[in-house]
Amino acid sequence: MSVDEKKEQPRESLEREIDAVVSAETAGLEPEQAGEIREKIRQRVRAEMEREIRLKTAADRREEARRIREERQKEKHAGEGRMFQRFNRNFRFQHMVMFSSVILLIVTGMPIKFPNFILSRFVISLWGGINNSTIVHRIGALMLVYFMVHHLLYTILSRDGRRDFVLLLPMPKDLRDAVQNIRYFLGKVKEKPRFGRFSYIEKFDYWAVYWGCIIMIGSGAFLWGESIALKYFPKFVLDIAHEMHSDEALLATLAIVIWHFYNVHFNPERFPGTLMWWHGQISEHEIKEEHPLEYEELMAKQAKTAAEVNPQ
Amino acid sequence: MKGTVLYAVIAAALLGVCVPGPREAEARLSLEKCTLCHGKPEFRKILVDGKIQELFVTGDSLKGSVHEKKTCVDCHFDVSEIPHRERPRRVNCTHCHYKGNAEGAPQSDGYLAYFESVHGKAIARGNAKAPLCQDCHGSHAILKAKSQASLVAQGKVAETCGRCHIEIYAQYKTSVHGVAVAKGIKEAPSCTGCHGEHKIYSPKDPKSTVFATHVADQCSKCHASVSIMGKFGIETEQVATYKESFHGVASQFGSRTVANCASCHGTHDIRPEADPLSSVNPKNVPKTCGKCHPGANANVAVGKMHVDAKKKEAGIVYYVASFFKYLTIGTMLALIVHIVLDMYGRTKRLRGEK
Repeated sequence: MSVDEKKEQPRESLEREIDAVVSAETAGLEPEQAGEIREKIRQRVRAEMEREIRLKTAADRREEARRIREERQKEKHAGEGRMFQRFNRNFRFQHMVMFSSVILLIVTGMPIKFPNFILSRFVISLWGGINNSTIVHRIGALMLVYFMVHHLLYTILSRDGRRDFVLLLPMPKDLRDAVQNIRYFLGKVKEKPRFGRFSYIEKFDYWAVYWGCIIMIGSGAFLWGESIALKYFPKFVLDIAHEMHSDEALLATLAIVIWHFYNVHFNPERFPGTLMWWHGQISEHEIKEEHPLEYEELMAKQAKTAAEVNPQ
Repeated sequence: MKGTVLYAVIAAALLGVCVPGPREAEARLSLEKCTLCHGKPEFRKILVDGKIQELFVTGDSLKGSVHEKKTCVDCHFDVSEIPHRERPRRVNCTHCHYKGNAEGAPQSDGYLAYFESVHGKAIARGNAKAPLCQDCHGSHAILKAKSQASLVAQGKVAETCGRCHIEIYAQYKTSVHGVAVAKGIKEAPSCTGCHGEHKIYSPKDPKSTVFATHVADQCSKCHASVSIMGKFGIETEQVATYKESFHGVASQFGSRTVANCASCHGTHDIRPEADPLSSVNPKNVPKTCGKCHPGANANVAVGKMHVDAKKKEAGIVYYVASFFKYLTIGTMLALIVHIVLDMYGRTKRLRGEK
């Protein structure tokens, strides 16, 4: 039985059914009137059916295009197996906003913390003096505040956001992973710890950003609106805010430049960095290596859906 | 004309060295001639603006001054006949005080600096009220600046400047520095201590020692010195804490609007914190801070002003700073150890595979 025949079968039965109902309804009417109504109904049904067929073929086209794209990608990353979407577009956008703002903030903020450092004066002059660089710092601050609000809404409103937030919560397994990882570094155990979607390293990065954003935005707000803050708080509160802002800035910068850069850039497996922040995809090879538990989960899920679609 | 006078002066000087007799006689002669009129105590002139100019000069006027051995026409050299018909011009000190002069008159770049200064420029623009050398150093009774009685001595220069800058002098006289100078404290600054001697510029001129971005440096010349401040029991850490504060950093980077020492402590009217008239007295602090931070209230006076987070006196700020210090050290240490172990492990595995 061909596809067209399959399609025709229900169509015929449907038409018969409709005809039966229509004839029952129009029994009492005059033949001319009945014929008119019948003609109208037939036309409506035909239009409806044609529309359905058209939609189906569009969906098929999209499906086909995706398959071709995936195939092409597979050819491109032949050695790495197929690609998995690790970070969605929203999440990548958040990361981009955050790193742009943090770069701006560090570039304009660090010279103020270290005014005697040889490059500080140069960097400040790049912006055209301290008056301009403080404005740039505030632009960076607004971007970071936007990022924080966006991320909170993403965590609450988006399904992916909620799932990731739960997966990012620190678990006892992370401590065991850390211990095992260090033992693995030292050569005491042969196996690397098997990470889920987020390793303890990534979890640390995530919560470090959380902590940093809260401290920096909180204390920065005091320093930005110092006149308003002084109306309600004594001066020492501003001194504390200043101290926190300055100290946490250094901690955050060091953590980014040393820790995050090592993990995503200078680490021999990644050097000089991957494009994951741009396309959000992870290769099969890498996901098996870095996130084996997530990979297994994904595979199990795929197998399950496949089984549901083709129960054999 | 100038050349002849110069030669005459040189000749006179040479003669003075070789044969003292005739030169002294000549000087006496000139003096006698001048004092015929100027020696009378009532000899004075009423100027156009109604001021009375005393013209009484005797042979004693130069006595004890650095120009003791000079005579009237050495400086008033445009007087060629006595009695002079016209009013003699103002004495031009650079006639002798120039570099390489034969007279042996002391000279330095200070004289040149004067022409660049706010006073020298005012003179060049034709402001008759602007001071020339003799207005500060005195006309006849010029003494060495080191001498206590000199008009430009540390103890007296404020009064000299105050002859024109009256209001500022009034403020300064009761300020902590003015009182200290009056007490005879050598380290305390008078006008020249901050503004410079000959290189006095307007505070709006970036060359000025009291230009907004130079104030902190100027104050810290003394206030950062433990050896000076130690004598008076004044802390020196204020300089460091200011330079680390946002005010200090922004000022170092060239912000002219940010607060410098003078913005809060005042310029000529600097008073100790305990003085109720002081701008940094806790009662006046809200007003002082309010100049830049509108709406500042009593809150700004709560807590230490010059906070040094590294010292325990800073209170809670110190504990916050310490918390972050150990947090940073601890975290970074852990992260770096993790990185180093990771690299160690990688190297080992690589070698093992080979």
